Amino acid sequence: MYLYEPGNDEGSVEFLKIMFRLENWRHFDYWLFGTATILSIFGIIMIRSAVAGSIELAGYANRQTMFVVAGLVVVLATAVLDYHFLGNMARAMYIFAVVSLIVIYIYGQASFGSARWLDTGVFFIQPSELVKIIMVIVLSDYFSRSQLEKHDLMWIGKSAALTFGVVIWILLQPNLSTSIVITVLWISMLWISGLPPKYIALFIVLGIVLGLILFPFLESYQQLRIINFLFPDPNSRHGNSYNVEQALISIGSGGWFGMGYGHGTQVQLRFLKVRHTDFIFSAMAEEFGFVGTVLVISLLVFVIYRCFRVAREAQDQFGALIAYGVGVLLAFQTSVNIGVNLNVIPVTGLVLPFISYGGSSLLSTVLAIGLVESVALRRKPLDF
Amino acid sequence: MNNTSPLEHFENWRFFAVLGAVGLVFIFFMIRLFSLQIINGQSFVDQADENRIKNVSEPTQRGIITDRNGFVLARNEPSYNVVITPAYLPTDDGAVQEIYRGLSKLIDIPVSKGEINDESVKSFKYCDNDFGITQIVYIGDTNAPYTPVQVKCNIDEKTAKIIEAKKSDWPGVDIEIQPVREYPTGSLTSEIIGFLGPIPAALEETLKTQGFVPGRDKYGYAGVENYMNDLLTGKNGQRTVEVDVAGKEIRNITKPIDPVPGKNLKLTIDVRLQNAAKTAMVSEINFWNTYLNKIRSSNGVTIAMNPKTGEILALVSYPTYENNRMARFIPAYYYNQLSNDPNRPLFNHAISAEHPPGSVFKMATAIGALNEGVIDPNKELEDKGKITIVQKFTENETGTPRDFVCYDRNGHGMVNFLRGVALSCDVYFYKIGGGYQNEVPQGLGIWRIGEYARALGYGSISGIELPGEAEGLIPDPTWKRINIGENWSTGDTYIGTIGQGYVLATPLQVLESAATIANDGKLMQPTIIREVTDSAGNVVTPFTPKMRWDITVDPKIRVFDENNIPTGEMKTVAPWTIKLAKEGMEQAVINGTATKEFAGDEALKVAGKTGTAEYCDNIAQAANLCQPENWPSHAWFMSYAPYDDPEIAVMAFVYNGGEGASVAAPIARRIIDAYFELKAIDTAANVER
Repeated sequence: MYLYEPGNDEGSVEFLKIMFRLENWRHFDYWLFGTATILSIFGIIMIRSAVAGSIELAGYANRQTMFVVAGLVVVLATAVLDYHFLGNMARAMYIFAVVSLIVIYIYGQASFGSARWLDTGVFFIQPSELVKIIMVIVLSDYFSRSQLEKHDLMWIGKSAALTFGVVIWILLQPNLSTSIVITVLWISMLWISGLPPKYIALFIVLGIVLGLILFPFLESYQQLRIINFLFPDPNSRHGNSYNVEQALISIGSGGWFGMGYGHGTQVQLRFLKVRHTDFIFSAMAEEFGFVGTVLVISLLVFVIYRCFRVAREAQDQFGALIAYGVGVLLAFQTSVNIGVNLNVIPVTGLVLPFISYGGSSLLSTVLAIGLVESVALRRKPLDF
Repeated sequence: MNNTSPLEHFENWRFFAVLGAVGLVFIFFMIRLFSLQIINGQSFVDQADENRIKNVSEPTQRGIITDRNGFVLARNEPSYNVVITPAYLPTDDGAVQEIYRGLSKLIDIPVSKGEINDESVKSFKYCDNDFGITQIVYIGDTNAPYTPVQVKCNIDEKTAKIIEAKKSDWPGVDIEIQPVREYPTGSLTSEIIGFLGPIPAALEETLKTQGFVPGRDKYGYAGVENYMNDLLTGKNGQRTVEVDVAGKEIRNITKPIDPVPGKNLKLTIDVRLQNAAKTAMVSEINFWNTYLNKIRSSNGVTIAMNPKTGEILALVSYPTYENNRMARFIPAYYYNQLSNDPNRPLFNHAISAEHPPGSVFKMATAIGALNEGVIDPNKELEDKGKITIVQKFTENETGTPRDFVCYDRNGHGMVNFLRGVALSCDVYFYKIGGGYQNEVPQGLGIWRIGEYARALGYGSISGIELPGEAEGLIPDPTWKRINIGENWSTGDTYIGTIGQGYVLATPLQVLESAATIANDGKLMQPTIIREVTDSAGNVVTPFTPKMRWDITVDPKIRVFDENNIPTGEMKTVAPWTIKLAKEGMEQAVINGTATKEFAGDEALKVAGKTGTAEYCDNIAQAANLCQPENWPSHAWFMSYAPYDDPEIAVMAFVYNGGEGASVAAPIARRIIDAYFELKAIDTAANVER
């Protein structure tokens, strides 16, 4: 079925030929790639403004520029790679993911109690970021293969086992937000693959019960965040609600057109905290105002829309699920981050895709876009 | 997979449900964003401004206080504090440690000491803590890294210079110069000058609106520092600046308003005379305490004034306090010690203490009796040592006989007005004050005594520029009924005539009465402020003597009918009565109660009046001093000189001092002597110039 088979040199040559056939690039989603590029460049611009005046953050904009350049290469490289090849690798990747998470967990336990970062010698990476992408492939693979199976509890249970096989280690890091992202990804896949309605009610009940049971097991700072969100203390100026409060002030003071690039007082005078990562949305809202922010949100929504569009046009179920999964991933992360900034959900550590500073998160984002492009390149042309 | 076309991998409704959910979330975000940025935008802009805009108060300079000759009594001295701005310290920990070690040797504060925890941080006070440099800087760093932290306060100038020189090697370390109030004359003038303290809580709100900073700016707590606080204090400058999150100033937002320095004050006090007065007071009290071999008195007042202008030349309230000890902060132990002292050093006895004035009060009775025609000054009344009158509380009562004795139990024999004043003959004054049989058919009476006392300054505050002045008390039947709940008795009048009983006066009022007589009935407004100048030395308010009233011109005396009801008429005091009163006071020195004390000083032409006021207050009762017929007494003396053209009026008072003549008069004499000596010195100096 697949062109590439290990040891089949003839096949690999054929594969490369097909790869670089010019007419295939017709299917490349230039709109998606272009918008992602614009958003990433805008991210660099925004980070430059956000870190201005801070000595310890100096140079972050230049590093992000490197990440973006590398990221665009990654998009193209991933696009070139046939996603079916990744499908074959799904099992290996899954094992790699679980092993690296266990290593990180043990390493973390041995050193200072918590670790999300893996020192590769050259740079630090966050394996959990990579695991998100791996899970898109693994779950797409599972659901596309089981497409014709009976959608019973067994079917759900297997996918749940796959999902929580990694989520458990991420939860133990502890990294609640990534765990939730992967769980949401799984639920969305279940949903689109035809989860029978009777189980939906079961899921809701299970979710509520699990939430109530798990709450006491959360780290105290996580509990505090949730409590602070539900019952904010109006007197705490420098307490736990300080960051969110400053974010709201930053957003609110933007008005229609913002204070101008490099002129947001909350950003430039550093009242807004973690303004280059978690709260970069607020920084943007202050400096570019309602109009600018709506424009950026529209671009993000457009990227998500393009992913879903690719999903609809994909060559096969596997590709469709990959593009759909990436769309859900981006939509969920974007809305959680913006929701935190707008103070409609509790603070989590999720960053804004494309725009927030960070090599690992950008890497996972561009890998995701690359996967979608890979699916797009091999889609069934609508115009034949 | 029932309703999917070959191209559609998903069930349409499931796919569009996801799309719809995503769409709804983002639409909700847009609405939320619109609400935050457009609808409620202004309130967030305000909050952002509140974050970044700070009003910085630039401290002003408090005015300087000098005596009448320009001798400085209160000034601002630089005090050197070692400060560290945490944000400017080197980033290298080793370099920081090196700075701390070097600094530690110079200022004698350990590099590291004490434990940082919730409790120790809560009770932390700059300049007054047990921490090491590391801990102090740590606390400052967590609060505001760009604000200098006071590591050690009030170091000597030499150490300050050394640290100043090392500043370039020690980034972050600096010397802060803070003005601290200094009183070169200290306790010599503290009862006049007062002292400063933190802005009191009750005034915090008011002063804040005037731009003062509680915790930094000071407020006058006593004396001129308190009374003239508004003039002395000036106005703080104001800058509106933009700050970043660390509190670092970025720029001025509006044009800065420069501070306006406080006005300078030139007092009427002559510090040399003040010194002489205090020395006279202290040595006289010590003399008697040594002589009697027990602490009889430890509290006294003496005031010297120019009777023609009202200028207070010296004002001693003994004991007082050392105001320099309260310059930086008010030490609790010292303040408690002062508050618990039975002699009340924080209390200005010269203006706030109310005592029975005794015989000095007789001058009010004397002028009244002459002016009202109660007695012909030449008529002689007999003093047999005592008189017996019938004590009545109501007119129709039978009454009980009561003896009123003269301080000289043998009596003074036949006494006319001048002898009566000169000898301070009690019986003479009983008779003219209360009336006696056929000799004086109708006495002056308590209502009219009150009128003349008030005309001489008793019974009301003078308005001197010092806080806490007391009114004294001129009793009358109405007052007694309200406050004691008893009818006025005939005896009350007799005893009131000689300044005993219910009569109370402040030392300043006694001086005012003497000065009014010396000044032929013109009561001058007592003042201690000679000039107000601005910081450049220009006179803002030049000195102009103020007259409160002239009793020979201004009708200050209410006329009463036979039932002691005011008729509504007012009258003046005839000048001849004052002239006779002055003659009486001359006689008291020439040939009367104070002759011995002024022997050898005849050339200075001193006129005076002694007073020995019996009292029985709570302190005397506690000491079991109130024995019948032998009550303890305050020593009073009031005088002026020269009697033909008075330049100085002096009063002296010693609490539980005993006899006015022997205890109080010598104090006044030494002040008058000093005054004329100083005058001679000044004249000679002026001639040389």
